[in-house]
Amino acid sequence: MRNTRRSLLAVAAATAGALVMSGCSGGGGGGGGEDGEVQLQMVETLTNPARSTILKELITGFEEENPGVTVELVSPPSEQAVTTVQQMLQAGNGVDVLEVQDSTIGPFSSNDWLYDMNGDLEGWDGWDELTDNALRFAQPDGPTYMMPYGFYGLSLFYRTDLVEEAGYDGPPHSWEEMIDQAKAINDPSQNRYGYAFRGGSNSASNVVAIIEAYVADDLDVENAFLLENGDTIFSAPEAQEAMDKYMELFTEGSPPSSIAWGYPEMVQGFSSGSTAFLLQDPEVIATIRESSSLTEDQWSTTPLLVGPTGKAAQPIATAGWGVADSSEHKEEAMELIKYLASGEAPLTFAKGNSLVPILKSAADDPFFSEGPWATYVTMNENPDTYLNVTQPRGVAWWQEWSEKSDRELQEVLLGQTSTEDLLATWDEYWSGKFASEG
Amino acid sequence: MSSSAPAIERRAAGSATPVPPPGGEATRRRREFSRRRALTITAFLAPAVAFVALFTYYPMLSGVFGAFRNWSIYNMENQSWVGLANFETILGDALFWKTIGNTVLWVVGSLVPQFVIGFALALWLRRRFRFRGVYQALIFFPWAVSGFLIGILFRWMFNGEFGVVNDLLMKTGIIDAPLPWLADPALAMPAIIVANVWYGVTFFAIMILAALQSVPDELYEAAALDGTTKARALWHVTIPYIRTTLTLIVLLRVIWIFNFPDLIFGMTGGGPAGQTHIVTTYMIEITQQGDYGRASALGILVLVVLMVFASFYLLATRERTQAR
Repeated sequence: MRNTRRSLLAVAAATAGALVMSGCSGGGGGGGGEDGEVQLQMVETLTNPARSTILKELITGFEEENPGVTVELVSPPSEQAVTTVQQMLQAGNGVDVLEVQDSTIGPFSSNDWLYDMNGDLEGWDGWDELTDNALRFAQPDGPTYMMPYGFYGLSLFYRTDLVEEAGYDGPPHSWEEMIDQAKAINDPSQNRYGYAFRGGSNSASNVVAIIEAYVADDLDVENAFLLENGDTIFSAPEAQEAMDKYMELFTEGSPPSSIAWGYPEMVQGFSSGSTAFLLQDPEVIATIRESSSLTEDQWSTTPLLVGPTGKAAQPIATAGWGVADSSEHKEEAMELIKYLASGEAPLTFAKGNSLVPILKSAADDPFFSEGPWATYVTMNENPDTYLNVTQPRGVAWWQEWSEKSDRELQEVLLGQTSTEDLLATWDEYWSGKFASEG
Repeated sequence: MSSSAPAIERRAAGSATPVPPPGGEATRRRREFSRRRALTITAFLAPAVAFVALFTYYPMLSGVFGAFRNWSIYNMENQSWVGLANFETILGDALFWKTIGNTVLWVVGSLVPQFVIGFALALWLRRRFRFRGVYQALIFFPWAVSGFLIGILFRWMFNGEFGVVNDLLMKTGIIDAPLPWLADPALAMPAIIVANVWYGVTFFAIMILAALQSVPDELYEAAALDGTTKARALWHVTIPYIRTTLTLIVLLRVIWIFNFPDLIFGMTGGGPAGQTHIVTTYMIEITQQGDYGRASALGILVLVVLMVFASFYLLATRERTQAR
């Protein structure tokens, strides 16, 4: 019997130990080591290997400037990253600094998971260095839940040779011109198409781009899904006009299978030489430069297409760094945030990831002012033509909208629904959501 | 001839029956011993049981409760009870019924060709020939690849403009113009099923081959002496002998194919317009929208459907076996 009791005790102890250990392993975040050493846990969500490497280099620089603080970078695979961070935030430990996307800031801040950094940034000399767009998101008047690290912005990638062969003097300036050129270039028998149409994942972003260009005169720039009169952009008569043009672009100037095209197919379509136009973010510049099908003089970029009144709305998409409300090392975490948002660090990060940078000084950097990047400078210098608008990407239902709109747009492309019904549904959806929000 | 196999099965089963312990004294001593041993065994099992309870059953139960709550990412603080509201939303959703139809098509359409081709491959691999090991390894390879990755590979192969499938079909003259495989709902479903057949044949080949190797050669020799043709031997010797294995792997595969959203997710993401969603990919979409309550409700429906199916299937196949 004694043996049994002893073994029972041992097993019980082992069980308890295992449970305690499993409980502890999640709670290592922000642990203070011996000799006052502080370890910060930093979690990224838009993970890719090249980016993690750049981040680690920046972290090393930070650690050298801040002896006694070490940073552990946690890089969950990007598909599950947001869920992983959510779980960590919900558990209330394991995260000090985290990547906040414009699509996650809404749910994260409404659950009180993010720390308002505004007070800690009072008197910070980095404020003066930030561009207007960066200030718009960092919100110097508070609350500051995120410090942006860069911006995505649309520009039109086009094939210089195909445009010339089709008899045009230069790249299109408006949607109307682009649709004409795309139709002229489109020749399925040669496997050559006008436009790399986005029908698959995240397709509504491009529909919204054309609608916003068509309603630009009446657009509420602070909430670019609304007009100045408070109605949604989908309710405007110009939205119907834009939608009809967009369908014309699909049926007469785009590959038929592009109903299923998401990001990879669009980029492949352009970089393999099959399509003449592509509306994309600057990160594609690096991919196209690596393409063996296109030489450097066969393509270029031109600003976002304007609508009938000569204006375009540049939706600003961004992501940045934030501090978890549960962090026990907010002081050190704030040092890291400041380090990543001033000096050389944000430029290094923007160059390595093909992002529009957050610092004013970037305009003097030849990297950003020459070649395909020059388009972004042009757009920045003409804010009356290329309106900087904020889309309500931070709302809690953004992800729901994204999935819903993908499916409904595909129904229109397949001929199952009309463009009128689509716009009516979207108008109803957004009016209802904004109304319920108060 | 057909009675040989069950006779062998019965003999094998008989030999495994434990012999009852003799004598009352021995039994009492045995019982006392058992009680002590039982305690020890329980103690040693405790960590594993605690682990499984904590990491398997607790999340599962919590998911079940979630189905009756207003559980969404947008407001984690307010998880009020909503009764059957989540289930009502799902059952009133037209796309849900479409996904049910798609799921049946996906399971049956994938399973039957997988089984037939897998069986044929297993029969072929059973014969001894040079480099059989190499062939076996090559055929089993797809099973080692992740479903999501296969989805992405097939997404490019079926691409309307740059895909190898259209290229081959056009070069062989079967079609004149490229088909928009993943953009047309009528073509997208067959395309994902083709990809799944390619992936799943391997499993049947592995399992059936293992079962075939357990059939004693004497049975075939006896059948040959009786002048049976190869086809009759397959029908009356091989299949009855490996029936248990076949029943089990078909059941497993039905459940696995049902619960296999990876490939569809990588290939079409449920599109175009939700037309290739099966129940489990639809569940992922709802989860991504942050509505965990509704996703949990859908998960419970899947669980119930699979349990009902498994019970009926096992009952039906057991009755058939007993009837023999």
